[in-house]
Amino acid sequence: MGTEAPAEVGRTRTIESRRAITLILLGAFALSLFGVNWSDGVFRPRGLGAVGETLGAMFRPDLSPDLLGVAAAAAWQTAAYAVAGLTVALLIGIPLGVIASGTIARSRVGAVTQIGMTRAVLAFFRAIHELVWALLFVAALGLSPMAAVLALGIPYGGILGRIYAELLQDVPPAPLDALRRSGASEWRVFLFGRLPMALPDMLSYTFYRLECGIRSAAVLGWVGLGGLGFQVQIALEDLAYARVWTFLWVLVVMVVLVDLWSSQVRRRIVP
Amino acid sequence: MSQVPLAAYPVGSRRTRLTFVSGSALVLVALMLSSWAYIAFGQSWPSHGFFSGETATRGWSFLRDLGGHGREGTPAYLDGGAWAEAGRLALTTLAMSVLAAGIAALGALLTFMFAARNVMLGELAPYRSPVWSAWFGIVRLAYALSRAVPELIWAMLLVFIFSPGILPGALALAIHNFGILGKLSAEVVEGLDMRPARALRTSGAGRLQVIVYAILPAALPRFITYLFYRWEVIIRTTLVVGLVAAGGLGMEFRLALSHFHYTSVTLLLAWYLLLVLGVDLASAAMRRLAR
Repeated sequence: MGTEAPAEVGRTRTIESRRAITLILLGAFALSLFGVNWSDGVFRPRGLGAVGETLGAMFRPDLSPDLLGVAAAAAWQTAAYAVAGLTVALLIGIPLGVIASGTIARSRVGAVTQIGMTRAVLAFFRAIHELVWALLFVAALGLSPMAAVLALGIPYGGILGRIYAELLQDVPPAPLDALRRSGASEWRVFLFGRLPMALPDMLSYTFYRLECGIRSAAVLGWVGLGGLGFQVQIALEDLAYARVWTFLWVLVVMVVLVDLWSSQVRRRIVP
Repeated sequence: MSQVPLAAYPVGSRRTRLTFVSGSALVLVALMLSSWAYIAFGQSWPSHGFFSGETATRGWSFLRDLGGHGREGTPAYLDGGAWAEAGRLALTTLAMSVLAAGIAALGALLTFMFAARNVMLGELAPYRSPVWSAWFGIVRLAYALSRAVPELIWAMLLVFIFSPGILPGALALAIHNFGILGKLSAEVVEGLDMRPARALRTSGAGRLQVIVYAILPAALPRFITYLFYRWEVIIRTTLVVGLVAAGGLGMEFRLALSHFHYTSVTLLLAWYLLLVLGVDLASAAMRRLAR
């Protein structure tokens, strides 16, 4: 910002683009309202009664010991799917992320091809929602816990790989140059320079995905693979809202606990 | 974490200390091992049969089904009429995602100030009152509850209330993302540079003026960025809430799978991927514009 004029131009441009964004956002939202079928009535015939029942049951869930036992078992199943899925995600994300960062390529052309190809694969993995992967796996291979684990692991691997690649690229270059100048090969630069510098952020992000994984694993139950989502679905079919909320509260408590754990870990890794 | 005196460790030894972080990493590894043990042995379903040639055969034949192997007539993904029909559903799905993002953004915009610790309880609060503290707690609790319950489960609850269509799906997506957007925006406000706000405050501005002139202008660009990131997630999830809420591509996808119309599955997946790609590109462009 040397003189007055360019700063002034920059400011008008910011204001203009802000106006543009506001207009686009409001316009898109207004258009989307036309997608709703307002004419046939928004609510179901006895829908408003269901609101009261659902919200009322929220404050008096069924807390009988038998049901709590079922809920605990379902919670463990959900957690096991989440953690096992995260292992698969790591197996996909670490190697593909390292390649997609382009930092271990021997030549510039090699780097560009490696980045392009692995990024496309990772983008495909994470473009499809985990529940859609689960439906496809169940249709192809039948009901098996492995369907749930793979369904969770593939899109999460796509996300982890992309983030790992970005973190590996964003490492400050000066220490790496120092290593190179003292004669380290590119592999050693990666292993003793780049990786240790990116590792705290990588670990931190992995813990964040664990938190998301619990929620996702609960949903996978819907396909028929067990866990909290499956129990919620069964209870809803009986219209037993008190039981629905037992499982939902167990899910909320579990997610909040994992959330607290992961945020404590992340705060300590990356202050 | 208690501080351990340095003298407790001989200088130069590579003894590793058990910290909260390394302990947590160990717990995570232990959890991974026990989860795999549970999946391999602890369930009624056999999973050891999974790693066999049969799985590969079934996977391969599923892929051939998707390609329309051994079926009469043109596969759906080569049929122009079917493309147009699915395109209409894709447009509805897109409308659902925009509606969801819009409702979530409105909800978060109206509440996130109440969830920022520094505005409600900290240095920007003119006085502390139990009412404000309680309101802060209620908003935070609402965020935690709405984002802890996944979109699909909200959709399962909402289909009992709303008639089928894109509205229950959009609302389910909106409730979940309201919690996420609200929490992220409140954290943005808590992390803001407080000096402009303090300067306004010392020159006599009231709390509302401080919020409107110092905090909102600084927080809104980040809010917009987060909104577009969430839109990318929402478009991927529209298919999922559509499975139960009967809106857009989701319901067709479920029907096609359960009726074994595999070439339609391929067509719907193609539209889904196009939508995801398009939204990713649009969101990236808008985020550049917002910067």
